[in-house]
Amino acid sequence: MPTTTAPTAAPIAETFVRENIIRAIGDVFQTMLGYGVQPAAAAPPDSAVGSSSRPSVPAIPAPLVVGTVGFIGKLNGLIYLYFDESLALRCTGDMLCMGELELAETGAESVNDAIGELTNMVVGSFKNCLCDAGYPCKLTIPSILRGSNFCVEPISHAQRHVYYFQCHGHQMVADIHLKSGE
Amino acid sequence: MHYKILTVDDSKVVRIIVRKTFRSFDCEIFEAVNGVEGLALAAKTVPDLILLDITMPVMDGVEMLTRIKADPQLKGIPVMMLTAEGGRDNVLKIAKLGVRDYIVKPFTEATLVEKANRIIDLKPVTESVDRKKSTLDRADILVVEDKPAIIQQLTEGLRHTPWKIQGVANQAEAMEQCSRLTPDLIMINLTLPDESAFTLFRYLRTNPRTMFTPVFGLVVKTDTAVQNHAQQIGFSSIVTKPIDVVELEARMAKAMNLDTSMRYFRLEAGHLIISLPEICTPAVLGEVGQYLQPKLTEAVNAGLNRVVIDIHAVRCLEMNTFKLLFPMMQACRDLGMNYSLVGNPQVITECRGVEETKTWVFHATLDEAKAHLAGEGAATALPELVET
Repeated sequence: MPTTTAPTAAPIAETFVRENIIRAIGDVFQTMLGYGVQPAAAAPPDSAVGSSSRPSVPAIPAPLVVGTVGFIGKLNGLIYLYFDESLALRCTGDMLCMGELELAETGAESVNDAIGELTNMVVGSFKNCLCDAGYPCKLTIPSILRGSNFCVEPISHAQRHVYYFQCHGHQMVADIHLKSGE
Repeated sequence: MHYKILTVDDSKVVRIIVRKTFRSFDCEIFEAVNGVEGLALAAKTVPDLILLDITMPVMDGVEMLTRIKADPQLKGIPVMMLTAEGGRDNVLKIAKLGVRDYIVKPFTEATLVEKANRIIDLKPVTESVDRKKSTLDRADILVVEDKPAIIQQLTEGLRHTPWKIQGVANQAEAMEQCSRLTPDLIMINLTLPDESAFTLFRYLRTNPRTMFTPVFGLVVKTDTAVQNHAQQIGFSSIVTKPIDVVELEARMAKAMNLDTSMRYFRLEAGHLIISLPEICTPAVLGEVGQYLQPKLTEAVNAGLNRVVIDIHAVRCLEMNTFKLLFPMMQACRDLGMNYSLVGNPQVITECRGVEETKTWVFHATLDEAKAHLAGEGAATALPELVET
């Protein structure tokens, strides 16, 4: 995330962040996939790893496919959407109307692209609400992280919010990092 | 009119969705992954509509839009933004650059079609375009049926085709499915609860994306009242249960206007092979007869003069089959094409028992028939008289 300079924008209320990300994920998954996504009240007790003093990266069953998109402007941010691989495959198949075999032929590239685009839409929807609330900013290009047992730590002075969702019996996580910008 | 649509988006998934969205309309889709490619393709193809993302590597959508508007050759092309970048101020700023519409992702295919239709007059694919689709192409079949056994029967029965059968249990699921993917053909159980089959049919006929999609009604044979009602309101065809899947497949292919000629005609190593199936129903013979002359002409134009008429799979020769074979051979002779026959013991015996066909000579395999034609060299096309 870029370094910040004063004057800075006021911190965003947690309620605003929570309601906004729940709406964004709900809209995107319903519109693009016809999925109902429910917010989960809290992380299962054994799902957190790392320091207990701050929200930690959730331990979704590995391997993971994580989409990440940032936004830059009056407010800077990065949002990570964590999918377990089977949910990522299911989303990709349904988005492209492809069966398992067809999907297997296209390789990981299709999954990366689909998860990148879903993340782009979620973060875009979240960010557009920030713009309308007086925090103009622009999206960055999506990227994908794949692997197991990795941990994302926020930089100092960043707000971090982690929200859990349930989708077709899979856990999905939105990990939001916010910091005042230009 | 055949329209050209250029989609510029770095996401392959979005480009695939755009392509699928417009595939049932008479338009050609061009794809670019960034603004630089988009500008080059726009200049080359001069599309009727550009769908433009904003956040892309190399050159973003705002810069591409600015350049389009500065180019006298391109500035008249309507541009519709299709992007996750929204927010009132952003949209207003970009709109001032001169866009015709603005869709903020996520989006439904219906929204995309509706907005595109305000700019270009989208029409369903014409017959000439549709004819290019054949029984070898994938088709999406939606079956709205609350009895899983029927969906299972259809899936199993049509497994040998490249068609993808998607079963849903009710009207709501069908509407949701149609909003995501336009099926090539829809089958609805006419006795779904609350007459929802008819409600769904009316919805399909008012939806621009499905208004021309063939819709079959499924019903038990004895329920004539429902059959009549479905026919009156415009169902494309009525399929009675128990379902004859073989007959249904032929009706589906016809309703989807698929080219079925490759079931019977193929070019193979310098030969035109004409194959008849095991059971030659009147519909099958009609299809073969319909394609015969164009396929022979096509072969002649491709420089071929050898035809193998392969009826080894035919279980028994009936009068209608003879009535097809005589003009088939005559057409070959008229065009100066040499031909030979492949048959099985049953059809050979049957032919020997008929005065007009007792001199027909059959080969046991395709290879033998081809070898025979090769040995004939420049022989003129005469009825087969060669003994094997």
